[in-house]
Amino acid sequence: MSAGPYNYSYIFKYIIIGDMGVGKSCLLHQFTEKKFMADCPHTIGVEFGTRIIEVSGQKIKLQIWDTAGQERFRAVTRSYYRGAAGALMVYDITRRSTYNHLSSWLTDTRNLTNPSTVIFLIGNKCDLEGQRDVTYEEASKFAEENGLMFVEASAKTGDNVEEAFLETAKKIYQSIQDGRLDLNAAESGVQHKPSQPGRNPLSNDQQANKDNCAC
Amino acid sequence: MLAVHRDVVNIVQAKFLSAEIVRSIHLNVFTLEEIWSNDNRILALVEYNKSFALFVLISSKIKPSCISDLSIETVTPVDEFFSCDTEPLEDTQTNIIFIITYKKIKRAFKIEIGLESSNFASEVIRSKELSLYNKPNFVWLDKYIGTMSIPSRSSDIEQDDIPITRHQIAQGQTSINRESMLKYHLKLKEAEYTQKQEFTIFVGTWNVNGQPPTISLRDWLSFDENPPDLYAVGFQEIDLSKEAFLFNDTPREAEWHKYVTEGVHPKAKYKLVGLARLVGMQLVVMVNSQHYHYVRNISVDTVGTGLLGKMGNKGGVGVRLDLHNTSLCFVNCHLAAHVEEFERRNQDYKDINARMNFRRSPQAIKDHEQVYWLGDLNYRITDLTTTQVKTLLLRNELPTLLKADQLNQQKERGNVLLDYQEGDINFQPTYKYDLYTDTYDTSEKARPPAWTDRILWRGRGIYQVAYRSHMDLRISDHKPVSALFKSEISVVDPIKYRKIHEDLLKKMDKFENEYLPQVTVDQTEVVYDLIKFREPQSREITIANTGMVPAEFEFIRKLDETSYCKDWMRIVPYCGSINPGEKCDVKLEVNLEMDLPKLYDILVLHLKGGKDMFIIVNGECQKSSFTASISLLCRISVPVMKVPDDQWKIADKGDSNVLYSVPRELWLLIDYIYRHGMKTKELFESSALHEEIARIRDWLDFGSLDPFPGTVQAAAETLLLFLSYTKDPVIPYELHDNCIAAASNYQNCKQIILQKVPDLHRNVFLYICMFLQELLKHQNDNAYDAKTLASLFGDILLRDQIRNSKPQASRGKSNFVYNFLVNDLSSSIIPPK
Ligand SMILES: Nc1nc2c(ncn2[C@@H]2O[C@H](COP(=O)(O)OP(=O)(O)OP(=O)(O)O)[C@@H](O)[C@H]2O)c(=O)[nH]1
Ligand SMILES: [Mg+2]
Repeated sequence: MSAGPYNYSYIFKYIIIGDMGVGKSCLLHQFTEKKFMADCPHTIGVEFGTRIIEVSGQKIKLQIWDTAGQERFRAVTRSYYRGAAGALMVYDITRRSTYNHLSSWLTDTRNLTNPSTVIFLIGNKCDLEGQRDVTYEEASKFAEENGLMFVEASAKTGDNVEEAFLETAKKIYQSIQDGRLDLNAAESGVQHKPSQPGRNPLSNDQQANKDNCAC
Repeated sequence: MLAVHRDVVNIVQAKFLSAEIVRSIHLNVFTLEEIWSNDNRILALVEYNKSFALFVLISSKIKPSCISDLSIETVTPVDEFFSCDTEPLEDTQTNIIFIITYKKIKRAFKIEIGLESSNFASEVIRSKELSLYNKPNFVWLDKYIGTMSIPSRSSDIEQDDIPITRHQIAQGQTSINRESMLKYHLKLKEAEYTQKQEFTIFVGTWNVNGQPPTISLRDWLSFDENPPDLYAVGFQEIDLSKEAFLFNDTPREAEWHKYVTEGVHPKAKYKLVGLARLVGMQLVVMVNSQHYHYVRNISVDTVGTGLLGKMGNKGGVGVRLDLHNTSLCFVNCHLAAHVEEFERRNQDYKDINARMNFRRSPQAIKDHEQVYWLGDLNYRITDLTTTQVKTLLLRNELPTLLKADQLNQQKERGNVLLDYQEGDINFQPTYKYDLYTDTYDTSEKARPPAWTDRILWRGRGIYQVAYRSHMDLRISDHKPVSALFKSEISVVDPIKYRKIHEDLLKKMDKFENEYLPQVTVDQTEVVYDLIKFREPQSREITIANTGMVPAEFEFIRKLDETSYCKDWMRIVPYCGSINPGEKCDVKLEVNLEMDLPKLYDILVLHLKGGKDMFIIVNGECQKSSFTASISLLCRISVPVMKVPDDQWKIADKGDSNVLYSVPRELWLLIDYIYRHGMKTKELFESSALHEEIARIRDWLDFGSLDPFPGTVQAAAETLLLFLSYTKDPVIPYELHDNCIAAASNYQNCKQIILQKVPDLHRNVFLYICMFLQELLKHQNDNAYDAKTLASLFGDILLRDQIRNSKPQASRGKSNFVYNFLVNDLSSSIIPPK
């Protein structure tokens, strides 16, 4: 595995999950573009973003899938969990309901990913201190009880956004180093060599028994 | 402008506003830089209001045929910072290199020599001249800056100025080119994160004539007051033995290395950077240990050009390194001997250049920012006898002698060390002395003295401060030579570097994200009007490519599903490719043939290499007797549209009382045919209009009191449809095989019907059969026979689980039904309640 100093040697797949409107797309945008989108439309589908980061001197390409949070898409977005090396689970500190739903998001994540998947809890919109509806302490207790990494972040100011993505990568990288994460497992969410971005979990071996397209 | 290109000019012109006039173009241009892909390019000189700019366009075809074949790669304003030049291309007479320089940025293109190139070049030169008289304003270029790659104006440098060929990213080559791209851009921005710092470099060369080291090298290597930062010390002929020649192995290497280590300046500590040796040639590069940390990418290589063109008795050895941010290369050579062999020496020089390969980038000698060339180059003084040379030396007429120096002559002619520099020689020829003396060769051969031992350099920011020989080292027939340089090395400011490096990475990521395929769909939720049985409805969605690259879309299957959409949906086209700026309409058609309260699905529209979009399709369905179960229809007292939901649910579960022995709707259809159509020829053969069937469906479902809204043929077809779509077939699927097996024996068939088929289904089955028997009574009029009717109804009463459209009937099913058309059924019927 000889990667040049500017090339990457791993690809990590991330998913971002959580209720609608908690700021998942804004977090992704902040991370990839360093910008805040004030009027971000609801994600209707799964957005895709990528960025190369460095962990312990290794260049790692993150492939990030930002899922739609709306309840009605839940059944479909579940199919994107598979093969994620990292899951960023987001709630909105100003809306308790988004926090209350975490256990259900967590159940999905646990059921649909593999045990080595790193789950990182993000309490977003921490810039809105005045409207806080979930205390840091209780969320951090929840994280601890469930063995999650946790920060409060703001996609608006960029606070802790970088950290959340990077810490997740570090943890994944550690797992690789310790051998806890088996790179050969098909669904480890980690690839060794650079490949085409955006391989879709759904698109593999699609065998549609429909009439062929006219294209 | 060349007439032949008129059509292409028009296409190129279409890329620009009408006031931006394409003055001249050049087709079939190829880049010479590796990191740019080798696409076919077009150069275009464009004028707007007396300001000119040179555009590089990438053409997807050799000759573009429409505007979408072209994309703008870079734009360079023609102003005071702009210059262009041409250079001959080696090995070819037909092509030439066309070089555009803008500030520090240089791009080279290969073009064919001809009318086109000379016209184009003169237009560019003319525009450059014009720009000096006018004060050109380049605001008009701003709109292209987003799409171009070379920063045009200093003000842009802070902004979006990454010369990324968007093209390449679009091709998905990002990962491959990322490294070189980043390196390239870092180099372009070098001035922003580095500062020049002067380093002293001591370069020495000595042909030691096979002598072992016996004397200290201090007088040579530590000649100067202050310790240099870097040493490059080259020896030739450290071992003249056969072993060394044949096996390239000599104990002298370690000895000379040791002497160098001991001879370097005592006021500083040095560390070895690299040692290269081939037979008698040895090069030792050492660095003041305080700089050692900043030395990277060390590599050595050797090239033999001696015997057979490969042996190491002659040739060169090299050491390359990066010191801070500057690439340095030292080459120590020993070229062919003998006065008349100067051409051989030239050849050796070329071979060393061609063959030395450091196996890391930059690999070749010429690609280093600073090259120091040293060694026994072996060029002699020509056309003068030994006596003449000695006399001139005595008179100290060095200039005369230097004119007769072969290296100077060959170099001047461009045959060797082209674009290398050498300092003035103010020292005596360093060859050939009697051993242990300062006396020139007194042997019989009496070789004329020569400056065989030389040091040259190539690259920016190198200043030689001393060039001399060292007469006191007398163990060889050569005297050592040394040169001291003050060389500018780019020293990286780590903070600035990190920032720029990160910015670049970020920008590249940004581009990578930008170059993901992007589309929008005009609606993500498609709602249908009330969906009725067998009345297809379609909606169109428009997918628009809003990205920069062609988008390949495809509706894809969700996990655990067998197809990309449900049975009741058809998507046309379900995949395709859309060019940037273009759109594609996709038809989403629903057709209800099942008992569903509503049609709902989330379609996944996938972009190859990009995101997925969800499209919700949604529509309420109108209830219909046609898709209901026989069991339900027998349990409801009123037409399906009038049944309250709760009753429907109970009836659907089979929990309410059976009210009819056969569905009301079935009875109504058969009754109508019975009364009006028993004598009709081809009763079941004609196909009614969709609307007619829909009217009959509604007449049944709403329980209309109007007269039957159709012909008997329509009623007959509706009857077939009704039986084909009931939630479950009249004869349950699991009995079909039994039925077919029993078909040859009426008693067995009867057994199945009486014992295995559920009551209501049995009623329907026998009811139909009795109706068909009745029909057969009129066969003189309607011309039907039992076989025909049996095969027609066999496939419907025992319909397959998977609806297929195969035209041929199943013989077994037909035979089964036949039994019930030709035997008396009266005893089997359960009278309706
Ligand atoms: N003040 C503040 N507003 C934020 C922050 N992050 C997101 N928002 C706002 O919250 C709204 C929803 O953000 P999105 O990123 O679209 O939320 P999402 O989780 O992607 O929502 P879905 O795509 O529907 O699942 C937007 O209007 C954002 O501007 C934050 O850190 N601070
Ligand atoms: Mg979103």
